[in-house]
Amino acid sequence: MIKLLIDATLVGLFLSVPLSFFSYFIVMRKMTFAGVGIAHATFGGIALGFLLGLNSFVFPLLFCMVSSVFIGYMYKKGGFSEDSIIDVVFVFSMALGIFIFSMAKGYSGNIIGLLFGDILSVSDRDVVYSFFVSSLALLFILYFFSHFHLITFNEDLARINGVKVDFLYYMFWLVLSVLIVFSIKLIGIILVNAFLVLPALVGLNTSKGFKGVIVFGVFSSLLALIGGVLFSYYLNTPTGATIVLLFFLLWLASFAFRFNT
Amino acid sequence: MVEVKNVSLSINGKYILKDINFEIKKGSFAAIVGPNGAGKTTLLKIITALLKPSSGWVKIDGVEPEKYLRRRRGIVGYLPQKAIVNWNLPLTVLDVVFIQDVKPFGFFRRYSDEMLKLANHWLGVFGIGNKKDELIKNLSGGEQQRVSLVRCMVGKPELLILDEPNTAVDAVYNVRMYEILRKISRELGITIIMVTHDIGVITEFVDEVMCLNVKLHCHGKPSEIDLSRMLNTVYGESFGLLLHREQCKNCMFGVRDDKTSD
Repeated sequence: MIKLLIDATLVGLFLSVPLSFFSYFIVMRKMTFAGVGIAHATFGGIALGFLLGLNSFVFPLLFCMVSSVFIGYMYKKGGFSEDSIIDVVFVFSMALGIFIFSMAKGYSGNIIGLLFGDILSVSDRDVVYSFFVSSLALLFILYFFSHFHLITFNEDLARINGVKVDFLYYMFWLVLSVLIVFSIKLIGIILVNAFLVLPALVGLNTSKGFKGVIVFGVFSSLLALIGGVLFSYYLNTPTGATIVLLFFLLWLASFAFRFNT
Repeated sequence: MVEVKNVSLSINGKYILKDINFEIKKGSFAAIVGPNGAGKTTLLKIITALLKPSSGWVKIDGVEPEKYLRRRRGIVGYLPQKAIVNWNLPLTVLDVVFIQDVKPFGFFRRYSDEMLKLANHWLGVFGIGNKKDELIKNLSGGEQQRVSLVRCMVGKPELLILDEPNTAVDAVYNVRMYEILRKISRELGITIIMVTHDIGVITEFVDEVMCLNVKLHCHGKPSEIDLSRMLNTVYGESFGLLLHREQCKNCMFGVRDDKTSD
């Protein structure tokens, strides 16, 4: 059990750092619902993978990435609002997943585990993959940090200054899809959105400048993760839910240090 | 400096801009006026290669806008409409001043002494030298616009494209801002194309006025254009125009132009 807790903590540590950086831009661009949409797309992907006999994370990952590109494309070219497209992807993926699983007789997976996280499903392989995926995602967001800042400030200004706005827009969602798929094992489809929103919200309460917002976001994520894993072990509670509840309490506590009004 | 030839843009058969022709010389300060939906911002977007015209072409310094923009970052100082800028980012004034200076791993960047000197100079020129460490979202709307002008200037531009720079700027600083812009164009030779609704005041400061409403209805020096009659044509209705006249230096908002009182 201790080994599982350590593995879960490691996966959480690896993933929470890049997720906090992504959280900053997601909150600043008012696109928090996108995380919900992409996370739920995984459910449809897992169901399709099950139907096709592919139980690895590859199929959910592909499904998630295609969904995020679809959301981006329809927003950019279709003239629809992001929220409306995300909602369509969200309900389609959930309906597809439930439809397929309800027909399947031999499914031995744990749907509740998918939705709310299943600490027992974290393996050594997940730890190694999480490390590499997180490192690459962190490298990506750090390399293009000032590019994303300019895009978030004003897209036209970014284009005039030679920033490949559309390319980076799609890359943002693709890399985020990968992070989300890996995070789902730990905290689940429904709760993963907490890590896309709460780090930035805690950071905004506790810091003045953008660097402080992100650094405090990272610290709050780590605190919620490590604390949540430990509490869930000693209290025998669901890990994902415990982590998110702790994160929520941290957010409430952060109001005591509020700098940004 | 900026040459616009036979530029038209139509969407679903409706003309947004039709057969626009003009040339603006280097170092000139030009204002584009016209009603809402006249195509003013669209024209600026075509000049800055953000939009492609359905027909016609634009050249800046003899080359297509895309090529011109690739010469170096900051060569065009662009001030977008205030409403489409995200002012809620947790950025200080200095962060915004250098936001278009994108670099790999920009999260770890520090501002060099040379950059700080440049920023301090322009922040001082625009009267916000004491605000550089404040969060941009805590500034007033008018101060935010001044920070945007500083951002344009630290890029050492050859061309300034300003889309309603006086939005949220108070009446007193409005005049001061136009004075600074005129000085920038004359002393530094920077070409300025500015969209504004501030018809009454700008005639005193700009070298050229363009009246736009899908078509270009006038283009010339303010003194050469019967502006009030032309604006009645462009706006499609008669209105009283308050012009800032030479003989009325002490009038903050100018006097009513008798020609428009019909």
